[in-house]
Amino acid sequence: MIWSSAGSSIDTAVDYDPNWFVLRMTSDGLMAWKQVGGTAGNDLVPDLATTIPTPTDGGKTYTFTLRKGIKYSTGAPVKASDFTYTLTREYKIPGPGVGMYSSIVGADACIAKPASCDLSKGVVADDSAGTVTFHLTQPDADFLQKLALPFAYVVPAGTPNTDTGTTPLPATGPYMIESYSPNNSMVLTRNPSFKQWSADAQPQGYPDSIVMKIGVADEDAVTQVENGQADWVYDPPPADRLDELATKYADQIHINTTPITYFMAMNTRAAPFNNPDVRRALNFATDRNAVIQLFGGPRLAQPSCQILPPNFPGHQDYCPYTANPGAKWTAPDMAKAQQLVDSSGTKGQKVVVVGTTDSTSKSIDLYYVSLLKQLGYDASLKTLNGSVEYSYVQDSRNKAQISYSYWAPDYTAPSNYLSVSVGCGGFHPASTASPNLSEFCDPKIQAMTATAEATQQTDPQAAEALWAKVDKAVTDAAPQVSLFVANRLDFVSARVGNYQYSPAVTANFLIDQAWVK
Amino acid sequence: MIRFILHRTASTIGVLFALSVLVFLIFFAIPGVDPARQLAGRNPTPATLAAVRRTFGLDQPLPTQYWTLMNHLLIHRDLQSYTNRGVKVIPELITATPVTLSLVLGAAVLWVVMSLLIGVISAVQRNSIWDRGLMIFSLVAVAVPVFWFGQVANLLTQSRWHDSPLFQWVPPLGYTPLTSDPVLWFRHLIIPWIVLASLYIGLYARILRSALIEASNQDFIRTARSKGISERRVIVRHLVRTSMGTFVSLFALDFGVLVGGGALLAEVVFDLPGVGRLTYQSLNGLDLPVIMATVLYGGAFIVIMNAAVDVLYARLDPRVRKA
Amino acid sequence: MTAGIETTSGPALPVVTTGDAAPGQAPWRLALARFRRNRAALVALALFAFIVFACVLAPQYATHIAHTDPFQSNLTGTTIVHGKRVPVISPNASGLGSSPIGPTWSGRYFLGADTQGRDVAARLLYAGRTSLTVGIGATLITAVVATVVALVAGYFGGRLDWIISRLLDLLWAFPVYLLAISLSTVLLLQGLRIGPLNVDPTSLWLPTLIIAVIYVPYLARPIRGDALSLRKREFVESAVGQGAPTWRIILGELLPNVMPTVIVFMPLMIVTDILTESSLSYLSIGVQAPNASWGTMITDGQAQLYTRPWVSIGPGLILVATIILLTVVADGVRDAVDPRGLLPRRRRERRRPGSRR
Repeated sequence: MIWSSAGSSIDTAVDYDPNWFVLRMTSDGLMAWKQVGGTAGNDLVPDLATTIPTPTDGGKTYTFTLRKGIKYSTGAPVKASDFTYTLTREYKIPGPGVGMYSSIVGADACIAKPASCDLSKGVVADDSAGTVTFHLTQPDADFLQKLALPFAYVVPAGTPNTDTGTTPLPATGPYMIESYSPNNSMVLTRNPSFKQWSADAQPQGYPDSIVMKIGVADEDAVTQVENGQADWVYDPPPADRLDELATKYADQIHINTTPITYFMAMNTRAAPFNNPDVRRALNFATDRNAVIQLFGGPRLAQPSCQILPPNFPGHQDYCPYTANPGAKWTAPDMAKAQQLVDSSGTKGQKVVVVGTTDSTSKSIDLYYVSLLKQLGYDASLKTLNGSVEYSYVQDSRNKAQISYSYWAPDYTAPSNYLSVSVGCGGFHPASTASPNLSEFCDPKIQAMTATAEATQQTDPQAAEALWAKVDKAVTDAAPQVSLFVANRLDFVSARVGNYQYSPAVTANFLIDQAWVK
Repeated sequence: MIRFILHRTASTIGVLFALSVLVFLIFFAIPGVDPARQLAGRNPTPATLAAVRRTFGLDQPLPTQYWTLMNHLLIHRDLQSYTNRGVKVIPELITATPVTLSLVLGAAVLWVVMSLLIGVISAVQRNSIWDRGLMIFSLVAVAVPVFWFGQVANLLTQSRWHDSPLFQWVPPLGYTPLTSDPVLWFRHLIIPWIVLASLYIGLYARILRSALIEASNQDFIRTARSKGISERRVIVRHLVRTSMGTFVSLFALDFGVLVGGGALLAEVVFDLPGVGRLTYQSLNGLDLPVIMATVLYGGAFIVIMNAAVDVLYARLDPRVRKA
Repeated sequence: MTAGIETTSGPALPVVTTGDAAPGQAPWRLALARFRRNRAALVALALFAFIVFACVLAPQYATHIAHTDPFQSNLTGTTIVHGKRVPVISPNASGLGSSPIGPTWSGRYFLGADTQGRDVAARLLYAGRTSLTVGIGATLITAVVATVVALVAGYFGGRLDWIISRLLDLLWAFPVYLLAISLSTVLLLQGLRIGPLNVDPTSLWLPTLIIAVIYVPYLARPIRGDALSLRKREFVESAVGQGAPTWRIILGELLPNVMPTVIVFMPLMIVTDILTESSLSYLSIGVQAPNASWGTMITDGQAQLYTRPWVSIGPGLILVATIILLTVVADGVRDAVDPRGLLPRRRRERRRPGSRR
């Protein structure tokens, strides 16, 4: 398979997303998402634990019993105390997952002082009984999902408390990383210590080894799969090849829905987008069908005006920014947009769209440069390399006005969108780690979010209605132009069989469950 | 002579030092680049950022940071990349070198042989149809940008005509080491060689032709001719030899640049994991340690080849030594 | 690779000193006469002039023939081809991707549209304007800066000369391609702000200035050498002795003597600059969209190389043709100004005896 994106750390405590689909095959936590195709892929199953525990103490205590006889690739057995070590390590490094487990007793102190982190009261291990008990300061409805994320994948006690970067750690999965050179390749081979313990959580794989080439240009990568020289491309194929794939290789493409939402983030603290009317105007002016056409056509995306994606708890179809406001987007309303811009008195101001050099995002950025010019702004485009662009637009000191971006939730919870990507929790001034690109933080909406979060712990059903309200309020304030919810297109070679797609964040195409003829 | 060489060595080191300071300043003086952010991986928390900044000494004053960087690069030789944590810079450079050497050596053989042939034929057959044709060919070869040529070559050999017998043998883009499969190595590189060499074939053929024609008007060649030595011998013995000075020094310099990473565009177009592509990737990710290493590596090649050519001239022309 | 980015040997640098005294009109008139006799160069010059002319008229073409703004996206618009109204971009039947209109061979969308629905023919002309502007602009800046710096260093000598020479040495040792790429990558982030000079990252000035700066040593070093030796010549010494003002000696005595070097250098430098710009644009750090140059058009077309190769091959062919024509003109200029080939062509300038104190 080919993977053209740049490399990242393969340390489970540090990597955030880019290598998760690999780490799923090499490592395990107490919980996992069921490794099957279809919506069942969102179901939680016990992985290194024997069963899913029922929380006690009002949702503040979880006790897991470990499966017996599971070994690391080094041959050493997995011990209960390793889990305490693993989570402590996340705080000592500190890794990007520290915010996720902050409900564990002692975690707040660990965030404040990473070096002296001590979670022994929050994660109590009993090696002889093989049990791990978590004590939380407050109930956390998403806690089990968080334990299925790679940050909680177990590593043996004694693993250095620093990012190991490209050196693989001992792990329990069916495969192990034999070599990793971030600019060239990654090779996975079978882990000799692996014996299947649960077909749902961590099944044995079919291929004996998986070789990933890194750094191949997307056009060349597609050609290699067409020619049978490679079996799968990780990155979506470039837009101009789609028709060729759809007509000549129709049997080799697979399209699946995702919750990934694409949008134009507008800086609510910089002119002209500090004026809500201007943000609304751009929302009205956007021809979402045209943007989807640039993205690859109607089979690859559905238009959206709101924050939460369809099939998400709390999602209710809502679109105020269309020709006939209602549930669904139908057509742009240029007249309304122009009228809002005219009355805002911001016409003629300079707007720089910040984007990446990638051809699809560049084409969407160019569409916005055009649209902004049409609305009367002095618009231009600034393209940066992908790896630089994201940290550039996050940093409030750069005052990036508008940029094309997407948000992929880590697990199925509305707070993943509404508290982070457009919530006060995601905005950190003067920092390159500030995922709330719009810098949108409204006290009234924040209060609604807090209520929804609290209700979530006790009554998830009731919380959904509250989340829907927050979604509407944010959409009305228009910190972003929501564009569409994307589908994922996988292009595999003719010899690939048993293609399965799981919607879990660590999964997508289950490479190890496919075989090559 | 020894003093001359010592002097050159000292100034070479001086230039390389200044170069490293310049690169360092370019990347640190400019706002908008945050190495801590690169080191911290995807989606870090502000706490993580602060911790990373402390551990890596990025909160220290610039001269200290410069010293730490160079100390790790040159003395401990364990400097690590900013974007790919755990990747050591020097081994990366060492693995990339054979790829670049394979590409550049092969292209160099091609361009020397072809440009000699074209240059000599054109000079001998001056103003003939052959000369005209070959010079037009050289002109075109000089004018075609390598990335565009490479792109068109890929289109034809990888896609359009890939299934035709003409190009069925072309492997997917990439590189196989000579030691693991010499035949595949050759098949991978043959098209990059041609594309990279084309510019130099055109350039050198044009230079050689005019140097040969210039030389043939000089007195001692006229004398040799008048002695009744055959035209072919005149060319091989005298002309080519006397025109070689320019040719060799030019070759040394271009070769130095290419081995030092100057084949960047060709390596990017053909997906060859050489020094040039490494440089390109590090610049793309603003990965300062790797940029520093590749710039110094490339700069060293240029400066050393310059010095070598100067020493060569100093040997030929004693006056230069005094200067 | 390209002459521009790849080789440090740079453009040809024949250094010609036309005599002991400042030259009058005669040598230039002779050179002009020689150029006029060079038929190949004349034809190339005429063809090049035609390309320039066509590119200059790009706005007229866009308004009166193509009836479109080639910098505005037109994703949902329609156009009239042979009397029929058709969409500029039509979605594919497969539901994946879309196809822009192909060449119509008529006024509107003569060469078809790009993925943004913009007129390719009009963009090609505008791109030519950009490429030529950057190429010629950068060359002029290089020539002026290099001549001034070199004459000052050569005339005053001493510590000033030492500092200037070391700076040039440093620029010289920095691999040209790396310098260009480093500067572009970094400056694209924040633009360039030095005192009153404020260059926006999206402006055309940025690539122009970067390209101009990196090639300064190629011209400055040989001119400095000439100025240094001219400074010791009798006619300069006597002017200094007579108490003529410095600026008048530099402009009146030194400048005319180094002009042939500068003149011969310029057409080749334009070639090098245009190629450098296209290489930078290929790496997406040259001219920034929605502005277009031939280099960016090649690069943008690369995204459609496999489906519509001509979108990328077309601008490439025009670029190559322009380079060839300019090279022939450059050869003609060189032969006219420096007919005897007083100095070896394309040899890297090395320090000549006496040029260094």
